[in-house]
Amino acid sequence: MCNRGFSYFEGMAARLKWVFLLYRLPRNPSTPRIALWRSLRRLGVFQLADGLVALPLDARTKEQLEWLAEEVSEAGGEASIWVTEAGSAVQERVLAARMAEAAAAEYRAVRAAALAAGSAGGAGRRRTLRRLRRDLRAIRARDYFPPPEAAEARRAVEALAEAMEATA
Amino acid sequence: MKWATRRGVHVDRAACAWLIRRSIDPKAEFVFVDDPSEVPADATAFDIRGAELGHHHGDCSFETILRRYDLDDPALWDVARIVHEADLDDERYDAPEAPGLDVICRGLSMVHDDAEVVAIAGAVFDGLYEHRRRALLLGREPA
Repeated sequence: MCNRGFSYFEGMAARLKWVFLLYRLPRNPSTPRIALWRSLRRLGVFQLADGLVALPLDARTKEQLEWLAEEVSEAGGEASIWVTEAGSAVQERVLAARMAEAAAAEYRAVRAAALAAGSAGGAGRRRTLRRLRRDLRAIRARDYFPPPEAAEARRAVEALAEAMEATA
Repeated sequence: MKWATRRGVHVDRAACAWLIRRSIDPKAEFVFVDDPSEVPADATAFDIRGAELGHHHGDCSFETILRRYDLDDPALWDVARIVHEADLDDERYDAPEAPGLDVICRGLSMVHDDAEVVAIAGAVFDGLYEHRRRALLLGREPA
């Protein structure tokens, strides 16, 4: 894995703190499980194991996971929140790199869709542009270790917008 | 009455404080704490883990308070739609206003303390409420 270009991976001084959500939810009913899964996906958590997810600690990530813990309890499950740090810098970098790679894959999909819409032309482009901008915003909200693909995706989406201006 | 919530007020707590002063307790006094265990005995906690007035069944605290106090003003529920998406961003509602409100509240909390954020955001919510009230009356976006 190539880490160059990840701002986090350059001149890393202090160890990060992480917030973990440890949870157990009954298999049935499935509705709370699906709702939880959706929320966790939206937050961009890293799944460390079954029933254990991680996010880099800040006031917002901790709060969001605390509310999810409460929802798990309300749905008849068990949940707890832990603030922790990796045992070694290497271990932490592996986790950060995996999260960056997950975001990078999402950015690559946005970029590919923008390029495809640009070369296809046609009336659907405006709707595609709106969707891609929304997707970018959502990905950025859960992108804790921005990879180089972030800027590339943004450039591709803005190029699509400019191409539409030019042909309007 | 005394009301307690978490320090570092953001959109849901600012909206709750506005709603409490507006519709429940005009003389509300707010206390900001770091941990649920610090809530004073004589205070009602809101938007804090373990509180009745918190997130429940997918609702944010603002919606929970509306339900708990039987506040059925449709303009308040329209504000709730925006607060919900600004806080949770789960696409339960269509709320194009939400990302803007989220940024405004985040920015306010960077340059003001909690009591000031509550005061300033109160004016913001007054305006938001009036805008949504007129939109509902007119059946279109007000000028």
